[in-house]
Amino acid sequence: MELLGYLLDALTPFNLMLALIGVVLGTVIGALPGLSATMAVAVLVPFTFSMEPASGLIALGAIYTGAIYGGAFAAILVNTPGTPSAIATTFDGYPMARRGDGGLAITLANLASVFGGMVGAIALLLLAPPLAKVALVFGPPEYFWLAVFGLTLISALSVGNTLKGLVGACLGLLLSMVGVAVVGGDVRYTLDSPALLGGIDITSALIGLYCVPVILDLVATRAAHLKINSDIEKDGIRLREAMGIAWRSKFNVIRSSVIGTVIGILPGAGGSIAGLVSYTEARRSSKYSANFGKGEPDGVIATEAANNATVGGGFIPTLVLGIPGTPPDAIILGALLVQGIKIGPTLFNSESQVVYTFIFGLLIATVLMLPAGLLIGRYAYKSVVSFPKSLLVPTVAFMTVVGSFAIHSNINDTQMMLGLGVVAWVLNRYGFAPSPIVLGLVLGQIAEQGFVQTYLIGNATHNISGMFFGRPISIGIILAALLTLGYPFFAEWRARKRHIPPLTERAMAAEAHPTDIPPTSATPDTAKPDSANGDSARALDTGAILLAVVFAAIGITAYMGTEAMSSMGSVFPATISVLLVVFSIGLVVFALLRKGSPSKGGDPAASTTRRILLGIVFGLWVFLIPVLGFFVAGLAAFGTMMVLAEHETCPAKTWLIRAITAVAVVAGFWWLMADVLLLRMPMGLFF
Amino acid sequence: MSIKRTLIVAGLTLMAAMPALAESDFPTKPITYIIPFNAGGESDLSARFQQAEWKEHTGQDVIIQYQSGAGGAQAWSQLNSIQGDGYTIMGINLPHTVLQPMEGSVGYKTDELTPVNYFHYTPNAIFVTKDSEYKTLQDLIDYAKENPGLVTFAGSGAKSANNLGQLQFDNLAGVKTTYIPFSGTGPSITAVLGSQTTAGFNYATSGTNQGDALRMLAVASEKRLPAFPDVPTFKELGLDIVGGAYRGVAVPDSTSEGMRQRISDIVTEINHDPDFIKKMEDGGFVLTDIGYGQMPAFMKKMKAEYAKSAAALGIGN
Repeated sequence: MELLGYLLDALTPFNLMLALIGVVLGTVIGALPGLSATMAVAVLVPFTFSMEPASGLIALGAIYTGAIYGGAFAAILVNTPGTPSAIATTFDGYPMARRGDGGLAITLANLASVFGGMVGAIALLLLAPPLAKVALVFGPPEYFWLAVFGLTLISALSVGNTLKGLVGACLGLLLSMVGVAVVGGDVRYTLDSPALLGGIDITSALIGLYCVPVILDLVATRAAHLKINSDIEKDGIRLREAMGIAWRSKFNVIRSSVIGTVIGILPGAGGSIAGLVSYTEARRSSKYSANFGKGEPDGVIATEAANNATVGGGFIPTLVLGIPGTPPDAIILGALLVQGIKIGPTLFNSESQVVYTFIFGLLIATVLMLPAGLLIGRYAYKSVVSFPKSLLVPTVAFMTVVGSFAIHSNINDTQMMLGLGVVAWVLNRYGFAPSPIVLGLVLGQIAEQGFVQTYLIGNATHNISGMFFGRPISIGIILAALLTLGYPFFAEWRARKRHIPPLTERAMAAEAHPTDIPPTSATPDTAKPDSANGDSARALDTGAILLAVVFAAIGITAYMGTEAMSSMGSVFPATISVLLVVFSIGLVVFALLRKGSPSKGGDPAASTTRRILLGIVFGLWVFLIPVLGFFVAGLAAFGTMMVLAEHETCPAKTWLIRAITAVAVVAGFWWLMADVLLLRMPMGLFF
Repeated sequence: MSIKRTLIVAGLTLMAAMPALAESDFPTKPITYIIPFNAGGESDLSARFQQAEWKEHTGQDVIIQYQSGAGGAQAWSQLNSIQGDGYTIMGINLPHTVLQPMEGSVGYKTDELTPVNYFHYTPNAIFVTKDSEYKTLQDLIDYAKENPGLVTFAGSGAKSANNLGQLQFDNLAGVKTTYIPFSGTGPSITAVLGSQTTAGFNYATSGTNQGDALRMLAVASEKRLPAFPDVPTFKELGLDIVGGAYRGVAVPDSTSEGMRQRISDIVTEINHDPDFIKKMEDGGFVLTDIGYGQMPAFMKKMKAEYAKSAAALGIGN
């Protein structure tokens, strides 16, 4: 009954207000790509010094949980994960939005996030001390295998296109090795540029790889960004329908929440892996697994339930062991220590009032996310749908610049973002989807560190194979990975044996899950199920052959680069570059034999001129920011992009209104960054 | 034209003279304090402790930002491109800023950075779990002597303060151990707690968060730490190991002499605040207070010391 008392402590009007403000603020910041929970929490820590410890914690926890949910908006509406946790949300959320179900996707994300967040917080409330042990049994081999498990998703994401997926993954893994290696300390693949020492920032790479191609495609056609549902009833947030879907997927919701909670407990794994793993599991166990990647509601549900469950899960090692699960946890831990609260195993007894009030506060904030998130989601959806292209294109472009810059207040990240984005657009045209690259980039470091640490420990204790293959949890993860890899083949085999159409074809026909995506789609068309009986008379895939040759050359160069490294630092890049060469050669052979899936042709209605011009303006923009200053460069680029993106002639009055909007957007973001988040803005000639 | 030029010259002279005038009442607006690491590490925590006292001593807030990357090198390589008006300061660490430039091109040289105050260090310490069979340092040394290479130490980063400490330990105790680098103190302590490695070569500060789940076998400080009165120093046990990671505050090289001194004075003042001392010592930090005046001598001594260790790590040859 003590717990009830703490609940009442958490329910003071002041705490409720803090929780509500926190959730709203967090959702908005999380929705803007690049502005992360870490940043929001870091800025607000000093304000909590003057509060009661529990109230301060509630405010910080609410912002954190709101931000993780907010990441779903950008993922669904503009194909850009607002936080790495929302990577897998783009897989199905964006296709849903493209076909007019954006409002539904956002509502589903909200329901799943609230439920996942509750599961995580309740686990924290009731089971924290025993669950903290999970963090301890996960050693380097387990982290290695967990990352490998995450990588198996590539096979699912690139059905019928596996070689291209594997090449993409190798590229991503190589990109993850740029910079100073944690293990071994080698400086790798920086091309002697200090800007690359810190490696390629994952968030800015995400923004570039996913969002820049969308912008380039947006400007090229007249077609609306998202299909607007003609049925008025279906144009809102569709709460009733979403609740129905969520109820039918209750097992998915529960499983994903549990996966999220457990992975959240592992320090260093975090929301991105939780989302990917539960997505993989949801896909494997779904009756409609062929629809995943093309707008399957269960994909959104799985990711969002899991990533919000990591919030509560991440606090378990933070509070029980004093080991922060994620960067925002780390900042909150610091805030606790500054308040003079001793973290650790005794915390739940010695400071139970603070801890339990905080946990209840987190639960309350999660519940408040339901109405707050639905309202904000409705507004975000409406504005993306109703914005004319001439405003949408520059606004989204501006957000990518703001987001990639804000991470480290570093313009190099922005330039890297754009560079990777343009490369991603080209690759996507030739059938190389961005998602395998992203998986490689996100999981590469975890895989490498786990691998080398396992090897070092195994080598010291003369038990290398036992370290890799002999530990119970490792064996479990390996089996799960094999299951994920093998299951589609098994399902196909069983179906053929029973003389019924394979799963993939049946799923296509499933009426409840429409998969019609307009042909101009910029989404990775990864799960093409038609390759089994492919058309032998198709044209030679020249583009892919050329690219494969380039990749093979990159692989050889990367391999030669490993010579100067220490043995610890070279084992992983050497392996990956050999694999890259092998896969690339395989791709060339297959293309010459005219097997494998072809490249997508360009869209005849698309205007290449506009696309190239936009690319040039974008490039000039990111390189001129340090010269002209952030505000002036941003305003100039915004204006130019506005004109480029408009396919119709508009009256002067419309342009005037748009110009005012442009100034307001640029000034608003400038204010948010310079005065609210207190980032150091690049000053050039102007400001 | 000439009037305009005169005005500009006058204006510039005035602006140049302003900082000199402003030092006495510096700061008049919030200061940005860049931490070149992720949140949650020792650098972040000590800065947060300073932040809590900062306003009381200066009348202004300090805002902490993280700019992690390349073990700090990313931020340090950009330090001198920041405006040197005193309103942006950056955390700076040893041995990082000595060892990194020795290793290769990291975008800065040790002497290009301007530390104004090294205010504390976190001594290295050896940790085992509470159920470990090694009750004392001697137990561990004995085992390591019988089984060369078999003892594994989890530590934060490669070629780091923890790594240097482990090498020194091997050298002085006459043993051979294996160092396993992790991506920070958090992950390496997790590995120790989960018995993934035999022991941990970490900072003494880790001892405070874990309660009695961990046993500290020895600490690399001159005297026993107030927070751990029962833990012997390496020196007491006959091994001359004193060191760890030093942390301080640096400014861009364009910062005026007067302003460097003023910022150093603020840091020193906070270092004498009883609240701050208590929090730091409870946390296992050792306050040093090496101000701007003592900096040249301190850096000379530390560079000589690290040059010796660098050879052992295989750096700079």
